[in-house]
Amino acid sequence: MLPPPDYSGAIDDIVAGLRMREIWGRMGWAEAKRRYRRTVIGPFWSSLSMAIFVVSLSIVWSQLWKIDPKEYVPYLTSGLMVWTFFSTCITEGCGVFVASENLIKQLRISYTMLVCILIWRNIIVLLHNFAIYILVVLFAHVPVTWATLLALPALALLCINIIWIAIVLGMFCARYRDIQQIIVSFLQVALFVTPILWSPAQLTGRAVYIVDYNLLYHYIEILREPLMGKAPPLWSWFMVLMSTIVGWGVTLFLYGRFRRRIAYWV
Amino acid sequence: MTSITLQNVVTEFPIYGMQRNLRRNLYWRIFGKEGAHNGRVVVRALDNICLTVRDGDRLGIMGHNGAGKTTILRIFAGIYAPTHGKVDIQGRVSTLLHTAPGLDLDDTGYENILTCGLYLGMSSEEIAAKMKDIEDFVELGDYLALPVRTYSAGMMVRLGFAVATAIDPEILVLDEGLSAGDARFTERASQRIQQLVKRTNILILASHSDALIREMCNRAILLNHGSLVADGTPDEIIAEYRELLKQPQAPTLSAEVIPMIT
Repeated sequence: MLPPPDYSGAIDDIVAGLRMREIWGRMGWAEAKRRYRRTVIGPFWSSLSMAIFVVSLSIVWSQLWKIDPKEYVPYLTSGLMVWTFFSTCITEGCGVFVASENLIKQLRISYTMLVCILIWRNIIVLLHNFAIYILVVLFAHVPVTWATLLALPALALLCINIIWIAIVLGMFCARYRDIQQIIVSFLQVALFVTPILWSPAQLTGRAVYIVDYNLLYHYIEILREPLMGKAPPLWSWFMVLMSTIVGWGVTLFLYGRFRRRIAYWV
Repeated sequence: MTSITLQNVVTEFPIYGMQRNLRRNLYWRIFGKEGAHNGRVVVRALDNICLTVRDGDRLGIMGHNGAGKTTILRIFAGIYAPTHGKVDIQGRVSTLLHTAPGLDLDDTGYENILTCGLYLGMSSEEIAAKMKDIEDFVELGDYLALPVRTYSAGMMVRLGFAVATAIDPEILVLDEGLSAGDARFTERASQRIQQLVKRTNILILASHSDALIREMCNRAILLNHGSLVADGTPDEIIAEYRELLKQPQAPTLSAEVIPMIT
């Protein structure tokens, strides 16, 4: 049996959370800085570790697969940048409510606001990683076209999806602490199964299904393609839009019923 | 019109740890081991509370440890939704339950004032306008520019208290926090609440201190084992509380099966 629903309360919570821009704007920055406190280069550590990863992998894999580094490096960099953003949001989304236990038990706050802090913090890190991307654009002469501008709606759409995913995962990871572990190992595997380090063009025959119906691939694709100066395929937009609609529908149902239990679960 | 109405409010805390685990839950679901194992142990923190707090009430909450004071404060603040029953809160609530909400030890006093104020529902303009008043009250001087890590426990309490009381809430919910300050702070805190009381419609304060309840409140309730045992003037309730303290108190647990996902 499920607890009684309170859909209007859930919607109020989501709307209020999104509108509290002043708090999540500030807290996102504060937390991004906090994480790298007393380090000299701050959040650029994230960019630096990505740069090291990209350079080492590009050297080895472009040799291994005999691909032109000028083609592979931009592909790997933009894909990895988007993947890091997405997977970090999901992993942290599992702990979003548990980590804010103190706040949740002290104040009546919008739980969605906590998700907004998380996303904003990761967008800030993403923007730091963007420094690497710019270097790559210069190095590999990545075309900057009108399609590049599609990165903005793609990022927005990605964030809209991350909100619902984080709400659902945050809620159920608060209740069942095992779920976070499941998600972490799932994401580890997903990095290799999803075309991020390799390109879908390398697949042949029936194996293309693992790309076409891999939702994670489309989440990455809608943002990666614009970063490479190309428009993402319609199929990717379609898959992401569908998951947005279905995902939010399921989330409203679950959030409406379980939101009021969160304070007891954390 | 500011008011809080509690109607047959029951709050139960499921005890997780043993059952929190997905494996056991799945195991029970799949192999149908019900009965003794499936009965969750719940602690009933509040039992069938009916209470209306009206505009102008300065409500003191008394009771021994574990009587449900903190839980009922959280119900009043809208933090917990009751397990059963209804709560209706009309008005903007500000709470100070332990330290300042969102307090970060590595941030400076000023940064924390801003963070905490935002969490309590003020805008940054409002906070800037109140900054002088907060600075004057906390008496921390140059310490405000230092990380909160360097503060003593009493200084942190002062900071949180200053921000929570700088806001103009319609309903102010306070937990004992006031006791950690020194004598000077306690006196100034009570003056500040007196001023605040003129601006707030409802004050709710949980405390063990007779003096505090007598000074701040015009109404009091006594909780015992999660039940509301008395509601009256502060003097009556203090007398009853004294009476209750003479008896030994052992907390009770109630175990029951809750058939929904709690």
